[in-house]
Amino acid sequence: MSHRVAEWGRRYAALIRNAWLVDLQYRASIVLWLLWGVTEPAVALGIWWAIAGDGQVAGYARADFARYFFALMLVNQLTIAWDSWYLDGWIREGELNFRLARPLHPAHEAVAENIAYKARTAGMILVVWLVVSLVWPAVRLPLAPGRWALTAAAVLLAAAMRFFISFTTGLLAFWTTRATAIMELHAGVSLFLSGRLAPLALLPPAVASAAALSWFPYMLAFPVELLTGAAQGTAIVSGFVGQLVWLGVWIAAYHVTWTRGLRRYGAVGG
Amino acid sequence: MTFRIPHSAFRILLALWRLNLAEELQYRANFVASVLGTLFWIVTALLTLAVFFSHTTRLGGWDYWEVVVLLGVFNALTGVIEAVLRPGIGRLAGEVRSGGLDLVLAKPVDPQAFVSFRRLNIWRLTDVVLGLALAGYALHRLGRVPSFAQLAAFGLALAAAAVVVYALWVVLMSLAFWFVSVENLSVLFDAVYEGARYPVSAYPEALRFLFVYLIPIAWTTTIPASALTGRLGPEIGLVAALVAGVAFALARLVWRAALKRYTGASG
Repeated sequence: MSHRVAEWGRRYAALIRNAWLVDLQYRASIVLWLLWGVTEPAVALGIWWAIAGDGQVAGYARADFARYFFALMLVNQLTIAWDSWYLDGWIREGELNFRLARPLHPAHEAVAENIAYKARTAGMILVVWLVVSLVWPAVRLPLAPGRWALTAAAVLLAAAMRFFISFTTGLLAFWTTRATAIMELHAGVSLFLSGRLAPLALLPPAVASAAALSWFPYMLAFPVELLTGAAQGTAIVSGFVGQLVWLGVWIAAYHVTWTRGLRRYGAVGG
Repeated sequence: MTFRIPHSAFRILLALWRLNLAEELQYRANFVASVLGTLFWIVTALLTLAVFFSHTTRLGGWDYWEVVVLLGVFNALTGVIEAVLRPGIGRLAGEVRSGGLDLVLAKPVDPQAFVSFRRLNIWRLTDVVLGLALAGYALHRLGRVPSFAQLAAFGLALAAAAVVVYALWVVLMSLAFWFVSVENLSVLFDAVYEGARYPVSAYPEALRFLFVYLIPIAWTTTIPASALTGRLGPEIGLVAALVAGVAFALARLVWRAALKRYTGASG
C-alpha cells in the first residue's frame, strides 16, 4: 500500500514539475489570463459599489461587496478549469492518441497542470490581496483558522467538481464539434447561478431557489461565502453535502462519457 | 506619418474579402451558430442589467433603457471586433513569434493596413445589425425620437468609436514586438473592453479619468450612446472625431516604432 502511495507521489511530482516548467515559459501569458480573469469581478464590484453608495443593498454595504468580490477572484482562480478547451483540441486533432498510449490516464496530466497553474495564479492574487488590504481595510478578512480550514476543504471540492464538469464537457468533442460552445453556455448560466455577478442573496428569490437545486452555487458561491463569513451554521453543513452530492454526480457523468466516448473514438480512428 | 492609400490597396482588399466570403459561405451552419451566440450574449447582458436594476433605479445617473442603448452600441462594436480585428490584427502576436510576419512585410502593401484588414469574418457582422437594432428598440422604449442632428452625431461618434477600438488594438498588439513570448496579447484588449459595458459615470472618479483620457474606452460606448439619447449635445460628434483622429495618429506612431524592432524569426 505504502509502496503504491510512494509510486503515485513520484508520478505526480514529475507531472507537476513538468507543468510548472512549461508554465514558466509563458509567465507573461499567465499574467494576462489572470488579468482577464479578475476584470469581470472587478467591474461587477465597481457597479455594486456605485449602487450601494453610502447605504446597503439587501444587507450588503460597500465593504461587504469588496470582500465578496476579492474572495470571488481568489476562489475562482483556485477552482477554474480550462480542460474542456484542451480536450476539445486533443480529440479533434488526434493529440489524444499518444496520451492514450501512455501507461497513465490522461486525466492525471490534466490534474497536474491544474495544480501547477493554480498554485502560480492564486499565489499572485494572494500577494496582491495582502498588499491591497494594507491600505484598504475593507477587504481584510478575520483571522479564524477554523474557517480558513473549512474554506480550504470547500475550495478543494469545488475545484474537483469544476474539473470534472470541464473534463466531461470537453469529452463531448467525441460526438460534436461544438463542445467548447457548450462550455461557454455553461459559463453564461454560471454567471448568475454561481454568484459571479452578485451574491446569490441579491438575485430574485425564485432564481436563487432554482440555483440551490443545481450544482452552480457549490462551484463558487458556497466557498466564497464560507471565506467571507456569510455562510453560518446549517448553511455550512448543507453546503458541504451539496458539494459532495454534485461532485459524485459529475464523476459518474465523466465515467459514462469517457467509456462511451473512447469506444466511439476507437471506432472512428480504427 | 504618411498614410498613402494607393488605388491598388482597395483592389487588394476587395480581392481578399471576396476570397474570405467564398470560404465562409461553405460553412453556413456557422451563421446560425453565430446568431444564436449573439442572442445568448444579449439575453445574458439584459439579465445582468435586470439584476442591477432590481436594486436601483439609476446606474451612474442612467436609467435602464439608456444603459440598454449603450449595450446595443457595445454589441455593434463587438461585431466589428470579431469580424475584422480579432481575425486580422489579433493574429499578429503569433506571427511576430513565428516569423510569419516576414511574408507580410515582403508584400508591396502597407503592412499595418494589410495586417489589420486582411480577413473578414462575415457572419459576425450580424452582431452589428443586432446591436443597432437593440439600441433602436431601447430608444423607442425611452420614447425618444432622435433629431437629425442627434442621428448625425451618433453616426459620427460610432465611427469614431470604431477608430478608437482599432487604435487600442494596434497599440496593444504592437506590444508583441517587445514581449515576443506573449501569445495571448489580445486578452489584454478583452480585459480593457470589459469596462465599456457600462456608462463610465458608474465608476469611481479615478477610473472615470482613466477611461476618458488614458485608455479611452469611454469614447467607444458611453459617448455614442449619449449622443443618441441626447444626453450630450450633437457637437460631441465633432469632439469624438477629433479624439479618434488623435488616437489613430498615436497608434500609427506606436506601430512604426514597434515595427522597427522586428528582426524576423523565420530566417
